Amino acid sequence: MAKYALDFSATPDNLPIIRHFVQEHLASHVPDPVRRNQFTVAVEELCANSIIHGNHSDPAQKLRLELRIQGQQLHIYLYDPAPPYALHKYPMPPQLLRKDTNRPGGLGIYLIRQLMDKIIVRRRGEKSIYHLVKNLT
Amino acid sequence: MEMQLTLSPAADALTVTLAGELDSLSAPKLYDQLSQTLKQHSTVKKITFDCQNLSYISSAGAGILLLSLDNFGHRGVDFELRHVRPEVYNILDLLGLTKVMSVSNG
Repeated sequence: MAKYALDFSATPDNLPIIRHFVQEHLASHVPDPVRRNQFTVAVEELCANSIIHGNHSDPAQKLRLELRIQGQQLHIYLYDPAPPYALHKYPMPPQLLRKDTNRPGGLGIYLIRQLMDKIIVRRRGEKSIYHLVKNLT
Repeated sequence: MEMQLTLSPAADALTVTLAGELDSLSAPKLYDQLSQTLKQHSTVKKITFDCQNLSYISSAGAGILLLSLDNFGHRGVDFELRHVRPEVYNILDLLGLTKVMSVSNG
């Protein structure tokens, strides 16, 4: 099993670092650039939600991202100190513009759910754990 | 790679050249500059985004394009995205943007 981990603080400035971490470590496992980009987007959306909404961009909050390649599956884990949100239960498809705010809403969660096969959300100890799975075959 | 943005207004058209990554950090800058330019050039009826060097887009980037379409489309402004890379096209297509604005890849 290949495993890659990144510890980061909850600030949006870290989103480019997170993207490049995913691109770099998936390069040898996912040669198709469109598919690799899909996983990069899924991870960024997951982390952006936790950073911005869950942790209110507070750099004192620390998160951990793990990518694991197990057989023909990609497993993405995000360990987050903020309370969990029901990522796997949000309604689909999104409204391109939300009626209440007249702004785009729910696009990131929609993308995660479109791009991944399985989403598990749980709380263990003082961390919320978001576990995303995708078959690579 | 940070996003680079060039806006070239002509009489009734505006060309926006995007390079780099359009994400939650860079998307507000795009919207601000579009708003400012359209205020100064109120005769613009078409905005063409040249995306040849746009390497990445997140939901925040796509959201800003939607918001721009909604706000400026009411003024009769048409949107077109040209030379969109396959990676970026794929995300725009998943979000349904290819159905509400002209997006060409290649």
